[in-house]
Amino acid sequence: MLDIKDTPTDDHADPVTADPRAFAAKVAAWVPHDIVLKDAWFPLAHSFAVTKKPVRRAVYSQPYFLWREGGKAVAAETHPAEGLNTGKSAFTDTAGRYPVIEKYGYVWCWFGNPANAAPEHLPSLPYLPEDGGLPLHMLGTVRFDCTAPLSLENLIDLTHADFLHADVVGDEKMDKETVEVFHDSETITMVRSCVNKSVAPVMKRFGGVKSDVQQVRQVIRIYLRSHAAIAYGRFSPGDNVQLFHPCVPETRDRTRLDYAMNTSNVKKSNPFRYVMPKASYKVSRQDSFMTSPQSPRYMRPEKRKDLHSPLDEAGQKYRVLMLALAERQARGDFAYRDNVSADCSEIIGYQKS
Amino acid sequence: MVDAWWALARSEEVTSAKPINVDLAEQPIVLWRDAEGVARALEDRCPHRRAPLSLGCVLGNGMIQCGYHGWTFDGASGHLKNIPNLKSEAKFPSLYRAAAFAVTESNGFVRVCLDAKAQAPAPSPTGETLPRSGAVNVALEHEHYINALFDDPALVLAIRGVRFTPYLMAELAEQDGRLVMERSCQWAGPRWPSPFSSDFPISLRISTDPRTGESDLLLRDDAFNPLLNATLAPVPAARGVTQVRWRAKLAAHRPGLMAKWLGTGTPFTVLPTIDGAALRILKPSASVHAAALREAIAAATPQAVVA
Repeated sequence: MLDIKDTPTDDHADPVTADPRAFAAKVAAWVPHDIVLKDAWFPLAHSFAVTKKPVRRAVYSQPYFLWREGGKAVAAETHPAEGLNTGKSAFTDTAGRYPVIEKYGYVWCWFGNPANAAPEHLPSLPYLPEDGGLPLHMLGTVRFDCTAPLSLENLIDLTHADFLHADVVGDEKMDKETVEVFHDSETITMVRSCVNKSVAPVMKRFGGVKSDVQQVRQVIRIYLRSHAAIAYGRFSPGDNVQLFHPCVPETRDRTRLDYAMNTSNVKKSNPFRYVMPKASYKVSRQDSFMTSPQSPRYMRPEKRKDLHSPLDEAGQKYRVLMLALAERQARGDFAYRDNVSADCSEIIGYQKS
Repeated sequence: MVDAWWALARSEEVTSAKPINVDLAEQPIVLWRDAEGVARALEDRCPHRRAPLSLGCVLGNGMIQCGYHGWTFDGASGHLKNIPNLKSEAKFPSLYRAAAFAVTESNGFVRVCLDAKAQAPAPSPTGETLPRSGAVNVALEHEHYINALFDDPALVLAIRGVRFTPYLMAELAEQDGRLVMERSCQWAGPRWPSPFSSDFPISLRISTDPRTGESDLLLRDDAFNPLLNATLAPVPAARGVTQVRWRAKLAAHRPGLMAKWLGTGTPFTVLPTIDGAALRILKPSASVHAAALREAIAAATPQAVVA
């Protein structure tokens, strides 16, 4: 786990399109529990949570202690009360400190070789203010009792929402559904378009939507290494939903989600602005209801292959891309081949309000 | 199992007043203290007519005498030293002996190794005898018991005012030849639910011997102040029962109201029964790699044998 030599390789074949049989084999070989990707920024805390008093976080059990020195966020491997008595790993500099960036209202810490930490590897999040400052009611913490990749596979397969979260975001009734998937070596983006979908109950109850159906365009964009996702939904009639969904793998079987749901696009007089961010508390437990029993079943290789429908394209590609990154890293190649910090507004179809 | 050192009794349980019976899996063992106060362990079976030696007595010279026909054995070697009715000074052949086991004593536990020639491990330099102690018999097989400790400590123990969460700061991993993990905890009472909590005020570190499952527990707060130390020594006993001896100590200085409250009543309890309904549906998490980690540690220690 601590072997983080960087040896870029020339193998640039797209693992998704290279060979259908190899693709299928990789989908079937999915053991997310065993994937530990390095050289990535993780949003370990909301900015407001980091003060003079150290708070503790973890990425794959690697300890992080975050606090502020002169107002600047810092992160160390050991608690200041402990000092460096217990030794340090290769993830920190000689002083036991991690590279840190504060952006989008989060304190991001680097997990990997400190020498490779660079601002251009920080994901682009178009609808979060770069300097942070979202009100607290738009921020929160929830946890999933499962491995982080399962949480993200769950997210990118939005058909689950029609069943698991029907009482929040609406059921499966609609006239037409299309799913498109785009990817590069560091990201995967799924666009789901629904025609005349039954209105999300949360919008009907709190958002002032009177219609029985609405047009929906939902985008899930996952930054693979950071395990962080953009969940952007356009609803007509209704307000756009702008969720940042970072799945921090505290251990291989537990996931922390310090979310930000920017509802500043919603009128201040509309209760939806205040209620929707809190829906995460309900939705996350609904997800955990399924992903928690799922997780132990993905801890070891399984002879029986999962079955798939055409709607699972995004999930299957997510698996293959994650495995491709893991294989590259196992070969010592930690280079970023695509730029994750380039503005992705166009890719997700972000409408600035 | 053969070359591991098992905590088969708390020090205060073993006296020269009366021998006691313990067992390690299906092996019955008798423990007592000899005239020098040294703990001794023999197979709890007289080689004469198979009566349990623990039903006998400890003589003034520190030897153990079978309560059936009076055969008397030396604790260190197991050799037969006397048959009272024989009225003879004759020496007995070396075959006339009870099986003896190696014994050592540290940190308030009497530890036994089935290999009589085993060298006792060096005592921990920081080791101390924790003042609170107890013992329970749990109707659960040893490995399942330890896995329950890893996956949900609330099934096997209780710490006053502490609620264990499903969330870990560090999953089970090898550290200096031991299995180590750390679980986030909350204080009991009305609290923000753990799945929605950003930070936790306390954590429980568990450091487990990979062979015996003997575990050192450290409860500490988020400023790394130790609040409670405990040692849990689960031993496989007969019929799939796990005998658990434990010792614990509260830190003298415990900052915070809830931490101070730990000192009232019973701060640390090892549960004598396990909730089968909860255990059955407990999803494996921290324990998943325990077996593989044990094997890896054993492989790195050639002389070790996995229990």
